[in-house]
Amino acid sequence: MTRADYCTVLFAALLLPYLYISQWTGDEAGINATIINDGETTQVSLAHDHTYEIDGALGTSIIKIEDGKIRFAASPCLGKQCIHSGWLAHAGEFAACLPNRISVAVLGEEPRFDSINF
Amino acid sequence: MSDQPNNPAEVKTGITIKTTPEDHLIAWLAALAIAIHIIESVLPSPLPGVKPGLANVITIAVFILYGWRTAVWVSMLRVLVGSILIGTFLSPTFMLSFSGAVASLIVLWLASRLPGEGLGPIGLCLLAAMAHMFGQFYTAYLLFIPHDGLFKLLPLLMTAAVVFGIISGIIVRSMLRHLDKRKNDTTIINSRNEQEK
Repeated sequence: MTRADYCTVLFAALLLPYLYISQWTGDEAGINATIINDGETTQVSLAHDHTYEIDGALGTSIIKIEDGKIRFAASPCLGKQCIHSGWLAHAGEFAACLPNRISVAVLGEEPRFDSINF
Repeated sequence: MSDQPNNPAEVKTGITIKTTPEDHLIAWLAALAIAIHIIESVLPSPLPGVKPGLANVITIAVFILYGWRTAVWVSMLRVLVGSILIGTFLSPTFMLSFSGAVASLIVLWLASRLPGEGLGPIGLCLLAAMAHMFGQFYTAYLLFIPHDGLFKLLPLLMTAAVVFGIISGIIVRSMLRHLDKRKNDTTIINSRNEQEK
């Protein structure tokens, strides 16, 4: 091994931790969320706990924000799919109540993919 | 050329393709690299883009023994013919393979310009493997998956590149030692030894 070889190995040994730290830490938590009520969007912050009561097509949906997470807490719909979606915390996560025409999406700095296929 | 009468092309058509000893050398080495490339393409991979890259062992060995120009020939022929034989020519796989090969050749060219004793087989293999990975990663990013989420894969891919780069460097080193030993055993005048003096 020459001196340049050692430098290359050292470079690689430094590059790898840098890549792991820069790419894998600070996974952006959702900062904001948007509530869409029949096409009408409202931006809400996830920073403060709050409960929203939204009047939709069927009745009132209750949307809760707690510890930076958001969820449907109650809904007048039959399937309760929106409630079963549970807590949403990460950018791109989404819950919708189609009967009541209300949906909730967590926003990050930029939208992420819903899914990726190879 | 003394070996021309053996050329079957001449017998049938009367057309002679003039080949130099260098052409034969490149063809043999490229054939070796292509064989490794194809065998390797059969191996399962845990992640798209992760491969041992053993065909690059040939590229680096050729670079050390015969210089950058020959390495370019062998590497490009390997990517081209390998992809045609596997059936991935001009597919994304080929694009990634090609861009990786180009990136590592560029790095090898830079390495050949280093002053002093320069890089040994391990440093060269490691650099080439990392350049290969960066090249194919950016091609994937620019052409196929233009989303920043792809960068989450980069640390893993780079780790694989570093590990396999060092392993193939060790392979090249022992290969060159073996070749040197054989050269000395058979008392062939070693032009490389003369150069070293």
